[in-house]
This record gives sequence, C-alpha cells and structure tokens, in this order.
Amino acid sequence: MADTAPPMEPPKLAHTPRARLDATLLRILGLAFTVFIIAYIAIPVVVTLVMSFNEASVIRFPIKAWSFAWYQDFFASPQWVDALKSSVIIALGTTVISTVSGVLAAWAFERFTFPLKSVVYLVIMLPLFMPGVVLGLGVAMAFGNVSIFGYDIYGTRGLVMLAHSLWAMPLVFMLMEATFRTVDHRIVEASYDLGGRPVQTFFEIVLPSVSTGIISSALFAFVISLNEFVMALFLTTRDTQTLPVLMWLSLRSAGTPRLAVASVVLAGAVFVSLALIMVWYVRQLKKT
Amino acid sequence: MSGASETAALDSPAPRRTFWSAALMPWLLMSPALLIAIAFFGLPILFMGRMSFNAHIDQRFYVPDFTWDNYAAMLTDPTFRNAIWTTARLALISSIATVIIGYAFAMLVWLKPKRWRLAFVALALCPLLISEISIIFGWWMFFPKNGLLSYALVSSGLITDKISLMYTEFAAFVGLTYVTLPFCFFILLSIFDGIDKKVLEASADLGAAPLRTFHEVLLPLTKGGIAAAFAQSFIWAVGTYATPSALGPDTLWTIGYLIQEQMLGKHNWPRAAAFSIVLTVGVAIVMMIIRMLSSKRTALNG
Repeated sequence: MADTAPPMEPPKLAHTPRARLDATLLRILGLAFTVFIIAYIAIPVVVTLVMSFNEASVIRFPIKAWSFAWYQDFFASPQWVDALKSSVIIALGTTVISTVSGVLAAWAFERFTFPLKSVVYLVIMLPLFMPGVVLGLGVAMAFGNVSIFGYDIYGTRGLVMLAHSLWAMPLVFMLMEATFRTVDHRIVEASYDLGGRPVQTFFEIVLPSVSTGIISSALFAFVISLNEFVMALFLTTRDTQTLPVLMWLSLRSAGTPRLAVASVVLAGAVFVSLALIMVWYVRQLKKT
Repeated sequence: MSGASETAALDSPAPRRTFWSAALMPWLLMSPALLIAIAFFGLPILFMGRMSFNAHIDQRFYVPDFTWDNYAAMLTDPTFRNAIWTTARLALISSIATVIIGYAFAMLVWLKPKRWRLAFVALALCPLLISEISIIFGWWMFFPKNGLLSYALVSSGLITDKISLMYTEFAAFVGLTYVTLPFCFFILLSIFDGIDKKVLEASADLGAAPLRTFHEVLLPLTKGGIAAAFAQSFIWAVGTYATPSALGPDTLWTIGYLIQEQMLGKHNWPRAAAFSIVLTVGVAIVMMIIRMLSSKRTALNG
C-alpha cells in the first residue's frame, strides 16, 4: 500500500524513511508475536499428542520407540473406560437439562416483559461467574445427606449433571438471548395473526429459525460438562467418577503416558462432536 | 427491540391469551432455569453460609454451633492469611500477563487480512475446548528435567545441563495464563471489531508514528475492553486452583486449594464453607466493579 501510494502528499513523503523503518519493525514484531502465540497455544497440545504414542512407561523426552500400546491399555482398562462412559453420560444429561431450561428462559426474556426482570437475569447468570470449587462444595454440602425415596442422591450422575448445568445453563441462556434477538418479529406476529397458538408458533416458526444457535449453545454445554472436573471431584464417588476426575487423581500419584491417551480421547470427543455439528451446519446451508 | 416485544405481547390478537396466562407465561418458561439457579446455587450458598458458623470438633464433619472462629482463623492463622495473599497475587500477575498477550493477539487478528481470521480464532478456541486437566498435564510434560523444554534446549546446544522449570511459580503463571487467555482474547477482539480501521490511516496521515497512534488512538478506544477483560480473567484466575497447585511449588496454596484440602482431606466442613463464602464475596465484589465500569462506559457513549 505504502509503495504504490502516489508520492504527492507532502506529510507522507516527509516521514517516509522513518515510516518505512517503523513499518519494518512492526512487521518483525508482529511475526515474532505470531510465532510466540502459536507456540504457546500449541505446546501442551503437541506434547500430549506425541506422548500418547510413546512406548515407554515413563514420561521422558526424547521418545525412543513409538507404539499404540497405551491406547490399547486405556481401552482395556475397565476403570478408564467406565470413567469415559460416565463423562459422556453426564455431559449428555447436562446438555439436555441446560439447553431446554436455557432456551425457554431466553425466550421468556425476549418475548415478555415482567417485573424484576433484571433481578431474574442476575439470578440466572450469577452461577456462571462462580468458581467451580464453590459450586461443587455448596452442592456437595447441601445435598450430601439428602435422599429421595431412600435413594441417596449424593454421588449420582444426575446431581453432577445439575451442578454442571450451573455453568452450562447461563451460557446457553446468554447465547440464546442474543440469538432470539435476531428473529424477525413480523414472522412471529404473522403466525399469531394466522391463528397460530404461542406453543405452536414457538416450535414451528421460532425454533427452526434459531436452530444453529441452539445447536452451538448445546455444544458448548456438552463441552463444558465433559471437561469440568472440580465440581465432579466433589460430587462423584468411585462408581460415577468422570474421566477428568480420574486423570486429576492419577496425576497426583504418578503421570504415565496413559494420561496423555486420556487427554487425547477427551479432546477427541470434543472435536468429533464439533465436526458432527459442522457437517450438520453445512447440510443445513445446502438445504436452503 | 424490547419495545417491539412489549407491544407484541400486549396487543396479541389471540383470544385465548388472557391477562393471567400472559403474566404467568414468562415465569412458567423460566421455571426450569430458576429452579436450577435457586436450588443448586442459591440454596447451597445459604447452606454454606450457615455451615461456616458451625464448629469442627474431633473427627466429625461439623457440630452445630454459632462461632466466628472460622473467619477469625483466616486472619490469625498464617497459612490462611498467606493463601489469600497468594491467590490475589497469582490472579493479579497472571491477569496482567493475560491482558497483555490477549490484547496483542486480538490486535494481530484485527489487523491481519480476513482470510487469516478463521485460523486464529480456531487457535484461540483451543485452550477453551481442552479440559483444564489436559492443559495441566501438557505443561506437566513440558517443564520438568526430562521434559520437552529441557530436551529441546540441550539438543539445540543452548544449554549443557538439563533444567527443570517444573514446580516453580513461573510454571504456575504459564498454566494459569493459558487457561484464562481465550476469555480475554474474545472480549478484546469484539472491542477491536467495533473500531473503524480508518482511524489508523487517519492517524498515520496526520504524521503520527505507530507507537503514538497506539498510545493516543487505540488505547483510549479499547480502555473499557481492557478493564472488562482484566476483570474477567481475574475472576477466572481466582477460582482456578488446580493449575497453580499442580504446576507450582508445593507451598503455593491458593484459597481454592485450601477449600479442597479442608473438605476432602481434613473433612472440616465449616472451615471449607467459610473459605468458600470469602471467595464468593471476593468474586461478587469484582463483578460489581465490572458492572460499575461498564455502566459508566455506556453512560459516556450516550
């Protein structure tokens, strides 16, 4: 740009040598920072990926031999596979609970005026800003001794789902509130004018037009729950332990490449669901 | 926008919607969300508030009582006093680092051509999509004597003896900043996206050097975003205790770590509850400051 600009304007011309030096310096700085940020974000990811294919049982660089041994070990261990299953079940449950409750609440905020709106907004959003350790501890203390029909709810997956919803639901609510604002009100009113009942309008007109928003916020809910381990640490027993909890507990005793495999599996689950949603999204685009 | 929904709700021609159903409908729609927030956040906070005044005698979880001992202990016991100081210091330094890195990153993405944008945003999403435990473990393999850092430095000839940065405060900062970076980045990127890039050209045309443009044009325009990003990462850093406790030195005890220790290790429920209340109040204060700052900002903008 600077080279092709006509050398007509006196201020630019006067500053040319200085400006050119500045531009070069800036470019070098920009490049250096780009390298730094890519390295910073990539380091733990690459280290983990590389270590998961290590054959040896200790964490040590350089890696002498490569194998899938630790992957076999992971999937052959009932404890680790159970933890993975538990994680997925809890994440799916959290997704359903938080998506349904978050979408409905966001619709209420978009469509209705009611007293104490800002207070309700704060009540719904506040848990999102609370540290996981506080939420986990609170739920563990309040529901530690509670049983329903003689069935202890402490240690169940349902309780972990509800605790994870404390983060996932406000997030869905926040995203959906923004999404609902993009819905054209005239369409909703046209549906009412044509005799559509509110429930029918909501399911047949509004929801399809915000499906991308719902799917993305559901994905966020799923990812949050799948990755969370501080609340789960307080709320699970040996039988309902999630994968991140098991990883945390084993890191405290000894780190082996099995943990790297677990990291890869966990991230794999996240990226697979991300990819599925991308495929769905592309199909959706083609349809219209 | 809200005006449109207001009139739509009130003037709806559907005959079935009486006043009562219109008044009840929003509460009905919100009831699942409110139930979750009240039953699993509000109630437990009240429960913890009461618990924090109980006593811990012998090996029982708690004994009903009404004592300020648990709060007094935080001021008198050096371990707890240090934990508050450590938490605040860690959060402060790592938030400053996060804001500086996040600011530069967001500015880079903003200035680069559009075709790079998706790749950079995907890069920034990585720490957000990866579990904190995986991040911890990744750095856990990078910093020690037999880790990748030491190996890379020795084999490139930069140093002769293996080094270990594991269990240092530096490692804790690196991990903590990694966890909080994406939140900061996305807040700042949205602020940058609201700025017209022509202001840079205008400033350059008037003869300002890049540093002066940054200082006198960009910085004032992004001030509010910096404050919001800082507060956001501070809140996260205060609550994130696993990363510093796993990567930092053994003595690096944060409030979050002490809560876990009191609850799961010592089974001292009242003490753990008192710490949680202090942490909650701290987070609430920071949030109130954000709200004040952001309302001031909107007031200034009209």
